[in-house]
Amino acid sequence: MIELAALLFFPGGLFVLLNGMAYEWVDRKLVARFQNRVGPRWFQPLADNVKLLVNEEVIPENVDARLFITLPVVALAGVLTAALYVPIAGFDPAFSFEGDLIVTIYMLSLLTMATGLAGANTRDRFSLIGATRTLTQLFSYEAPFLLAFLAPAVVAGSWQISEINDYAGDHLWLILTQPIGAIVALLGLMGKLEIPPFDAPEAETEIVAGALTEYSGRGLALFHLGRNVELVAGITLLAAFYLGGISNPIEYVLKTLAVLFVLATVQTAVARLRIDQTVGVWWRYGVLLVLLQWLALIGAEVIF
Amino acid sequence: MQRLERNWNTAIERIKTWARTNSPWVVHFNSGSCNGCDIEILAALTPRYDLERFGVELHGSPRHADVLICTGPVTRQARDRLLRIYEQMPEPKFVVAIGSCAISGGVFQGCYNIVGHIDEVIPVDVYVPGCPPRPEAIIDGVVKLLGKLRPSPKPVIEEPAG
Ligand code: SF4
Repeated sequence: MIELAALLFFPGGLFVLLNGMAYEWVDRKLVARFQNRVGPRWFQPLADNVKLLVNEEVIPENVDARLFITLPVVALAGVLTAALYVPIAGFDPAFSFEGDLIVTIYMLSLLTMATGLAGANTRDRFSLIGATRTLTQLFSYEAPFLLAFLAPAVVAGSWQISEINDYAGDHLWLILTQPIGAIVALLGLMGKLEIPPFDAPEAETEIVAGALTEYSGRGLALFHLGRNVELVAGITLLAAFYLGGISNPIEYVLKTLAVLFVLATVQTAVARLRIDQTVGVWWRYGVLLVLLQWLALIGAEVIF
Repeated sequence: MQRLERNWNTAIERIKTWARTNSPWVVHFNSGSCNGCDIEILAALTPRYDLERFGVELHGSPRHADVLICTGPVTRQARDRLLRIYEQMPEPKFVVAIGSCAISGGVFQGCYNIVGHIDEVIPVDVYVPGCPPRPEAIIDGVVKLLGKLRPSPKPVIEEPAG
């Protein structure tokens, strides 16, 4: 019974969805303020999603209708599952087992995979190009991102998110001891969320809306919600690992909002990278940086 | 029981209308205008006027949009495209015609390559006159459209001023 409540209302399900929409608003509002605009009203993401949910869903010709309908559900389910394993709102994760870090990171990737498949499923040049770019980008940032999240796990000596969280809370903030890893993790999160400078997969000015061009109504809403939940789960994970752990709601709000602020700032300050540049940046510098971090870690282990 | 159901239905309708009026996503199509109107539309979307505070967002894909903003007369070549874009939009969809040309054909009226005004090809909900209309007028047009969505107890007839 309690587990079902955790799954549906708090801290999983409903709470993450609302939290995700609230954080989307914070993000949009911050970007708007940086651009000297007023920005959206506080209920904007809610209105957007409700409107999309009640609108007609057009199923285009030449698609596999079953796949077209199920992919958004899979995407949302994946990220919601990931959210169950991270310390949302500062409470212990609803579910936890040895090795859940790996599961969480792959569940977060499920959204990207589903987006890519959704784009490849529709016969539309924009969504096809978008799908190619989405998957290309996934393969470029995924390895450094994973390595950047594994470094704290190795230091803490555990693959369980709650234990790493406790470890981070007891020691010096890991962003100070592993600054390079923290930067790569932050950039990897931006790549995952497809926000500038890594928004080539959905570049509005070139390929309309990328992989989701043909989606309307319910499908689009579910993908949007999935993106929001991914934002929450991602920044929670980042704050828990690198910003000294999350052990109570106040810490949760402060630390995740700090990460969100950095995300919004970087996103306003930079322009979009071309897809080949994105791949170049990740494989030339991202991987190198993260390997440097690992070398430093190993060195520290050997010396001390 | 029936009353409960009716109340439930009205509540759902209210929520739907609330969401729709607060989140109009627009797609913009130029079916043959001189570009004057399009520049004004873009001006309305810039930070100066900041339409995002009303929830208006410009989207590239007609599948994502609720409101089609059209400018210019319809040329013979653009007619099929305009129709196709209109058909691609999910229900409920609305059309705003911007500029004198979109309303009557304007200066292009009678040209050999013109089908006519927007209304001859697709149904239009709101007309915004002007050559080109100011961004304020465009925003006013969209707001009028949203006003039409809300159920009003009795029809309001606006007397022309003066
Ligand atoms: S109304 Fe005026 S500005 Fe607009 S398309 Fe026609 S001629 Fe150009």
